[in-house]
This record gives sequence, structure tokens and C-alpha cells, in this order.
Amino acid sequence: MRYVKLKKEKIREFLLALQDYGELYAPIKVSEKYFDFRRITNEQVDEVVLDYNRTLRPPRRFFFPEKEVLFTFNSKKVEMYENKEAFTSEPVVLFGVHACDIVGLRIMDSRFIDDQPDPYYRARREKGIIIGISCLPDEYCFCNVRRAEFVDSGFDLFLSEVEDGYVIRVGSVKGHKIIDATEHLYVKVTKKDSDDLTAFDVKKSKMFTVSGNWDSLRYTLELNDEHPVIWMRESEKCLGCGNCTITCPTCRCYDVKDYPNLDGETGVRVRIWDSCQFREHGLVAGGHNFRPTKESRFKNRYMCKNAYCKEVTTAYCVGCGRCTYFCPAGINYKQNLIEIRGGI
Amino acid sequence: MSMKTTIIPEDQKIEIKEETKRKPTIGVYALTSCYGCQLKIATVSKILEIAESVDIESFYMLSSDSSIHKKVDIAFVEGSVSTKKDLEELLEIRKNSKTLVGVGACALQGGVQSWSNGIKSYDELFENVYGKNKIEISEAIEAKPIEEYVEVDFRLPGCPPEEEEIIYFISTFLFGSWPEEKDYPVCQECRFAGNICLLIEKNEPCLGSITTAGCNARCISYNVPCIGCRGPVPNDVAWFDSLAKVFVEKGFTEEYIRERMKIFGSHHPKLEELLAKVFGGEKK
Repeated sequence: MRYVKLKKEKIREFLLALQDYGELYAPIKVSEKYFDFRRITNEQVDEVVLDYNRTLRPPRRFFFPEKEVLFTFNSKKVEMYENKEAFTSEPVVLFGVHACDIVGLRIMDSRFIDDQPDPYYRARREKGIIIGISCLPDEYCFCNVRRAEFVDSGFDLFLSEVEDGYVIRVGSVKGHKIIDATEHLYVKVTKKDSDDLTAFDVKKSKMFTVSGNWDSLRYTLELNDEHPVIWMRESEKCLGCGNCTITCPTCRCYDVKDYPNLDGETGVRVRIWDSCQFREHGLVAGGHNFRPTKESRFKNRYMCKNAYCKEVTTAYCVGCGRCTYFCPAGINYKQNLIEIRGGI
Repeated sequence: MSMKTTIIPEDQKIEIKEETKRKPTIGVYALTSCYGCQLKIATVSKILEIAESVDIESFYMLSSDSSIHKKVDIAFVEGSVSTKKDLEELLEIRKNSKTLVGVGACALQGGVQSWSNGIKSYDELFENVYGKNKIEISEAIEAKPIEEYVEVDFRLPGCPPEEEEIIYFISTFLFGSWPEEKDYPVCQECRFAGNICLLIEKNEPCLGSITTAGCNARCISYNVPCIGCRGPVPNDVAWFDSLAKVFVEKGFTEEYIRERMKIFGSHHPKLEELLAKVFGGEKK
């Protein structure tokens, strides 16, 4: 792997240089508690926050937008017309992505590229640029037990904090090209930097409130499908608002809707993020609902995140903490998992 | 240029004959309301396109030639039933329409005029507003949603409804299908919009989580907490109880919570039952 070092005073120049590679998005502070990936123009580079907890909206939205036109149709001619936007749009340069979110994107890839290739997702993803950044956990984080606290692939560049700057790991050909073109910004990585990286990792590992490996949660959950307390108690609190799934970096469910035009012949078919917390998610033709109660919908998310992923040898949950942080009812997902597990 | 994909192979393609279709007839009516829904329908940007696609038989705000006695394919009715006259008109509209669409908060939830349903008696309310006076137009009755009296085929919510949804309703009818009901809350669109959560962060009494989506979180996008004007999420997924519990934790009183939820939800059949789970006992 190729390593270079970016000193803190060069960050601004680095962000400005990234503008040449597409539309730059990076975390900014949007309120007292919240951060969000927003479009960064040259005038806004100073607003970029390098040290943030988690973003309100997950990175997947840049490759799998909340709402997108799948195709337009003409029912009279029995023809449909592909939406070219995904192929012609500028590449997204996503700066400041945490390791857990990079794992989240790889989980998205496993379903939208490896499993059933989705041309729109793939087009955006392939031209997109991911620049990761190291972080320290807060009390909501549990990426460590999800094996998502460190990544060695899935990014073009990854910035790891050292005392006076960042050690950049180069993770792709695109990453190499960016570094080649901006070589004047970097210095060589020293022994001190390497020691700093280790010190950062040690500090980080001590900050997590849970430890070990939660891969086995799958079995615990399946065996506790009828847990006497937790499902009823916790789902009673649930507002059914869907915040947990919308902010989740790995939720992949969508609904498909037709919007005809006023000519009565043409229209668009749109895909829109769905949530298993919504009633209609489990509703099928004929009126049967696979998850007719709030409790069954609540349980579904826990099962899906912990037990339904077989593709990338980990859970669909990456431990980012969003579903708890952004829950208006204060439902603590991490704590509930600990309770079901019967201990840390 | 967009790429063309033909589903049916060229050689198997059937020529679809242009049918000479009769344009659907529509009527737009109002009971007791502010006429805002009609104003919204009249001013959507595609109104000229709509006017070409349908025959507008009646539109009370736009034409004095309107009549509830004309037969129409689709009736759009705004307003609550608040007088005997409203009720007679509504029954006549229902009789003369194949499809009836309830439009807006008054028609669908009784409107703000029925927020005190179950809190204040009709006489108390009348005296508050009119004192000892009598009203001449028609005998007033307790404001109720139209569904209490007639069958409503489709519900177009909002105070007033959103342009996007008005177009959607009319275009699905023209396409020969029907508008899908949204049964998920405003929160979905609020997160899509990248808004912060006013309930979590500002402790504001936001009703977004129990309110039908479709407005793209219009108010919250201006930092104003949702007041629920699009009505409780249909199909029994408006969790008044869970939200009331959150409000209580944030320091709101039972009275305040009930009143706020009743502004646009007073006729919801589950409201009191669910609030009783939090506050105990059935309120009058």
C-alpha cells in the first residue's frame, strides 16, 4: 500500500484540489447535535468538519438516492425509456467517510452490484470517489464488535489522524491518480507518524463500551425470537417513524411507484426508499400483511440487521449508532442487543 | 436522447387503436371550509393541462354555473359537514358522482372547526363564538368529516393539499388506475430532506411521526414543528400513545398533548383509546 502524509495546514488545499474530481460532499455541522454530508463548493471548504460523530443521512444516498426515476413509459406504444441521469451525472467525491460507513457501502455493493447488478447504482458507485477518515467512538458506537472499526478496502483514500496531520492510505488506482496529481501537498511518513497511528488505535480501542465479537448475535436472536419482554416493551415505545431505517447506512428496501402524466398515456416509474417499520412494507396483493403489527415490524429490523446477511460474512449492522442517536422515542438498539445477548 | 427499450419484440407488436374516449367529468365542491383547497386546485401550475384533459362540470370557486345536481364521474369535495345544508348538499353530490374524493383537512378530519370535539360541548362552543345570537343560513350542527355521512372513495389530504398530489390524483384517474394512499408518516420525508429532528433536538411538540406524509415536511423545513394538518397516518399506524409518552418525558402536560393532537385528529376513532394507555382512564 502507498502512504503519504498530509499536514494539517494543507487540508484546505487538499479539499480544494478534490473539486477537480467531481461534486465534493463532506460532513458539516447542521445543528447543535447533527452533522450531514453536504455539497461543498470552494467557498465552503472551511465548513468541513474533520471530527464528527455521525451524519444524519447515510452515504448510500449518493449512490442509491431516496427517490429516483427508473424509467419513463408510454403505455400506448408499450415502450419504456431508460433514465440516463445516473450515467451522465458528475461523479460524487465523498470526503470524510468513517470506516463503519465504508463497510456499509460494501454491504450495499453486495446487494446492488454482486447479487442483482443495478445499472444506476453501479454507474454512480464506479465513478464515485470515497475518502475515508479515522474517528474515535462515542457511547453510541459499537463498530468494533461488528468488525467495522477498520477497513483496508472500499476506499480510494483513507486519512488516519496523527499528531500534526493525517497519514493517507491509498486504496485504489483512482486514489493513486489523485495523489500523483497533488504530490506537492504531501510529505513522507515518519517513524513518529507510525507510532502515532498505533497510539490512536490503542486510545480508540479503550474508548469502546463493548468488546468482543457480536457475529453470534444471529443465533441469540433467532433463539430468542419469542423473548418474553423485550419485543413488546420496546416496540410499545416505537413511533413507527422509520428514522432508524432511513438513517441506516445499510437499509436497502425500496418501493416502486408509477406517476402517470396528465395525457393518460405516459408516465414515470419511481423507486423510493421504503422502511420495514411502515405498514405497507409487508403488505402484498390480496391484502395479506407479513408483518401486520408494530411488534412484528420492530422485530424485523433487529432480525434483518443481525441475522439476514450472509453475503459479506458480517451483519448488516455496522455499529454506527444512528438508529439510536436519531430515534425520537429514545429506543436504545445497542442496549437492547446487549439485553437479548444476556451480557456484553 | 433517451435510450428506448421495447418490451414486446418488433414482430409481435400489436397496433393499439386510438380510442375515441369521452373525457371524464369532474366537479369541485365545498362545504364548510375556507375554500383554500379549491384555491389550491385552481392555481396548480398544470391547471390548463387539467382543463384540457377533463370536463369540469362544476367548480364553485371558479364558476357560478356550478351545480350539485349535475352528474359527474369524479367529485372533489372540500369542507366539513357543519350545517344541515352541508349535509343535504353532500348527499346530493354523492348521489350524482361515481367517484368521490374527500379533499383536505375539513372534509377528511373535520378540520380545525372540530378540534374541540369531545372537549367542549356544541352549545358551549356555539356560545363562545356567537354569544346569544342565532345564525340564519342553515341550522348548525357539530362539525364532522364527510365520511361520517357518505362513503369516500379516495382521500386527498392536506391543508391545503399539495400540488404534486392533486396532479397525481387526477393523472391516475386519467390513466385508468387510482391514487395510492400514503400510510407512512411525515418523518420519512423530513429525513429525506435532511432536516434535523425538532422533537429530538429542540424538544418541540412535533406531530410528524403520527401525520400522513406527502408534504415533503413543509413546516419542519422552516423549523416549525408539524401540527398534523394532513391528518393521522391511516390504517391504524398513528401511534398517539407512543408519541404522547415522548411528549410527557419532555415536560408537556396531558391537556396540552390532547389539545394539540385534536387540532386535526379529534375524530380519529383510536385517539382517546390510545391516550388512555398513557394517561389512564377514558377522557370525556
